[in-house]
Amino acid sequence: MLKHNLLLYLRNIKKHRSSFLINIVGLSTGLACVVLVYLWVSDELAMDKFHEHEERLYQVRRNVSDGQGSLVTFSSNSSLMLTALQQEVPEVEMATAVYEFNNSARLEVDDKKLSAIGSMASEDFFKVFSYPLLSGDKNTVLTDVNSVVLSLELATNFFGKASEAIGKTISIKQGGQRIDEVFTVAGIFEVPENSSEKFDFLLPYKTFLKYRNPDDIRWYSNSSSIYALLRHNVDLDAFNNKMADYIKKKNKNVDEQVFFTKFSDSYLRGSFENGKQVGGRITYVVLFSIVAIFVLLIACINFMNLSTARASRRLKEVGVKKAVGANRRSLIFQFLSESLLLSFFALVCACFLVMLIMPTFNTITGKQLTLVLEGQMVSTILLITLLTGLLSGSYPALYLTKFNVVKVLKGKINSTFGELLVRKGLVVFQFSISLLLIVAVSVIYMQLDYVQSKNLGFNKDNVLIFERQDALTNSMDAFLEQARQLPGVVNASYMQGGMTNFSNSSRGHTWPGQTEASKQMTFRHAHVGPEFIETMGIEMKEGRSYIDEKPDNESKIILNETAVKLMGLENPIGTIIDMRGPNREIIGVVKDFNIQSLYNEIAPMALLCRTEWVSNLVIKIKAGEEKTAITNLTKLYDKFNPGLEFDFRFLDNQYQELYRAEQRVSTLSKYFAVMAILISCLGLFGLAAFSAERRRKEISIRKVLGQSISQLTIMLSGEFVKLVMVSMLISLPISYLLATDWLSQFAYKISLHAGYFIGAAAVALFVAMFTVGGQAIKAAHKNPINALREE
Amino acid sequence: MLLQLNNIFKWVNSGGQRIFLLKDINLEVEEGEFISVMGPSGSGKSTLLNVIGMLDGFDEGEYHFLDESVHNLKEKHRSNLYKEYIGFVFQSYHLLDELTVKENLEMPLLYKKYKGAERKAMVADMLDRFNIVGKKDLFPTQLSGGQQQLVGVARALIANPKLILADEPTGNLNSQQSEEIMALFKKLNEEDGVTIIQVTHSEKNAAYGSRIVNLLDGRKV
Repeated sequence: MLKHNLLLYLRNIKKHRSSFLINIVGLSTGLACVVLVYLWVSDELAMDKFHEHEERLYQVRRNVSDGQGSLVTFSSNSSLMLTALQQEVPEVEMATAVYEFNNSARLEVDDKKLSAIGSMASEDFFKVFSYPLLSGDKNTVLTDVNSVVLSLELATNFFGKASEAIGKTISIKQGGQRIDEVFTVAGIFEVPENSSEKFDFLLPYKTFLKYRNPDDIRWYSNSSSIYALLRHNVDLDAFNNKMADYIKKKNKNVDEQVFFTKFSDSYLRGSFENGKQVGGRITYVVLFSIVAIFVLLIACINFMNLSTARASRRLKEVGVKKAVGANRRSLIFQFLSESLLLSFFALVCACFLVMLIMPTFNTITGKQLTLVLEGQMVSTILLITLLTGLLSGSYPALYLTKFNVVKVLKGKINSTFGELLVRKGLVVFQFSISLLLIVAVSVIYMQLDYVQSKNLGFNKDNVLIFERQDALTNSMDAFLEQARQLPGVVNASYMQGGMTNFSNSSRGHTWPGQTEASKQMTFRHAHVGPEFIETMGIEMKEGRSYIDEKPDNESKIILNETAVKLMGLENPIGTIIDMRGPNREIIGVVKDFNIQSLYNEIAPMALLCRTEWVSNLVIKIKAGEEKTAITNLTKLYDKFNPGLEFDFRFLDNQYQELYRAEQRVSTLSKYFAVMAILISCLGLFGLAAFSAERRRKEISIRKVLGQSISQLTIMLSGEFVKLVMVSMLISLPISYLLATDWLSQFAYKISLHAGYFIGAAAVALFVAMFTVGGQAIKAAHKNPINALREE
Repeated sequence: MLLQLNNIFKWVNSGGQRIFLLKDINLEVEEGEFISVMGPSGSGKSTLLNVIGMLDGFDEGEYHFLDESVHNLKEKHRSNLYKEYIGFVFQSYHLLDELTVKENLEMPLLYKKYKGAERKAMVADMLDRFNIVGKKDLFPTQLSGGQQQLVGVARALIANPKLILADEPTGNLNSQQSEEIMALFKKLNEEDGVTIIQVTHSEKNAAYGSRIVNLLDGRKV
């Protein structure tokens, strides 16, 4: 019987190639989407889950009032927290502190120099976390102040073989912390692919404490990340309640709330709003899972619609089989196996598609995914395929087999109103989803375009930024002086951190006329050099910018407009305030400029000027003379730092990276939208062809009675255009709500005008018209005699 | 006694009125009979045939087939009954276009739990008996109408039914093809003892049978 049905099926495919193609193209694209997204999602979900004690591994966070009525969450803590957790909190089994270097460090063995990203971590680091330690003892590897632990890659780079590295010395220089010492390699670790933290080397935390001024170690400082391994069966809520006032008890002037969040959650749920964990990447994980399933669903709908619409072609078979003794169950089984066969065939095509798309997909998502046939994945994908087959086959199977033999054999099957409604409803559903995606794509695109072209308050174009390394640590001023003279260079200066995020913040400052409420106001601040404001093209509102007058600059301060407004200063220039050091004179006020992504509003900000803290140099070059400028700068850099690569970046590129997540969403949703609309149209194409065939007699009679071809075309297309219109009514309001919700997270956003929705509707209508119109014209042109003669 | 219909009524409701398709039909069919059902269009011939074939139900009356009371049977039993004892021949043959002659013949056996080797033997036997061995790998569209109906009859007979129901089996055939099919029916009836009930418009075809049942407006006349 199986062989028999298979034969029937194959011969049917041969006869109705177009339906088969529509189904296979749709289903395999849908399945490919699901497989890709599944790979991506499982990779995202596996992030940081490799740690052995992952279930009990927590990060210590603090909620701090921003002085404007809401809470800001910090993930960093004072090193005092580490000792306190280890000694005073019985619920904590182990804890570790990590200080991450902001800038890369310079590592040197003999003549070989490499730049690498590192951290300083306390003794228990390798016991709390489960980064595999290839050599070295996890209990002692970070105890000696002069030791260093290298990544396998770094060790191989320096010493050829990892086994050679142990006991060798390596010189490490780090500008920001002014470390310049020789360390002995004590161990080698590996960072797994699915770790969210990436680092090349670890120094002992003792080194951090050695370089830290003991006076600077206070409860409200925020130097290190603290991780704690809680004991088994610790109730998190109760524990968080107990710990909330911990810092306040230690220092009653520090009003901060301590709480613990699961470490492995940080990657997907890293966003905090007003002190609460609100999500993060997980939003996109969920979003794309839903979208992929929808694309597959659209393809399933095609299958259902085409099979039921073309039921007449299979009805005779059903009738005859029933008459010779087939029962309904065996027929349902037959149709379900057909759809299962189709979906598994589609899966094979999908696998090829996935392999084809994978490189592009990896570029978009920034991952290294591969299609590995591993147990759980295979079974999940097979299950999805099985469900796809059952879902798309179920309706046709039940529909086709329910008819009475006598009626079927007489060919008297009229689709009931309900069946037509289901078929039309499914088409409406398809187009609603497609429309939703089109609106989403255009809104995301326009918003990204907006944030990237918005006036940020400074000019990000043609600005190079690079790290202050090696010789530049001591002779930065000489370098800048010479750089300014080079042809093609407009101006040059330096700054602490980068323009895309002033990572430092502080509070507890005093100024004349301060109110009780504004006492806790948090300021972003950065140290910048003379000419910085000019180099960046930031506008002064009043006063002056820094000029080269060391050490005088260290008692001056420049604020931004927002700071002055929130502080309530009437005549800021010349006012003496206490901020990051007593008795600072305000010498200037700059107009507001954005230093974060446009998710955030502009914060009160202070520009200070102290050379030691500076980590980056910024150079503005002339538009059109980039090449000359860069060649000259490279030469100059080589003079100061012979043998070092001039590793610079453009500020506007860096700026774009702020929106990398959005860029990904934008690109991915573009692909998904195109696929959704294509698959929907394939289905519509099939339905239109069927409808034209079904109405052949009607068309012929109308034609004989004198209806023109254009009238007929309009009549035939109208049927489907109506459906697309209905989907607009359903989907446009929903997409409006979703778009508003998405945009609400940006402090600066485009306004949603009707154009987006009209545009999307026009695209959908046009594509639908195009698909259906061809069929309609073809049907209208047919010679009516042929159709009528058959009667 | 093969089957017995007692006071069979079948109706549909249309526009508040009850329209009778079959009205008080009483019919007894003995094994080995060859009955022709005649009557003008709309007189209920096909309906009667479908009722006898259990493809269609009825609203009132009793229907006994062999020892079973069909009117009391559940759908499943009923279909088992007709599967085992009844073969159908249709006016428009109703062969499956996607299957070859051989495969079309094999199809009824698939639903009756015959083993593969058994099925092969039965199909080969049938091809032989109807002299269509040379056509076994052709598709129905490659055959003439008469040949297609030949296959149709062969398919109806393959599972050795007691009763053949034929609804205008020659309606789509020319006179020579008709004669051949009717001769075949007669031979089956006389030599193999197969009971046949046919619906026909043609007096000539009706004459092949042993008894004629005339219908008018759903009533036996």
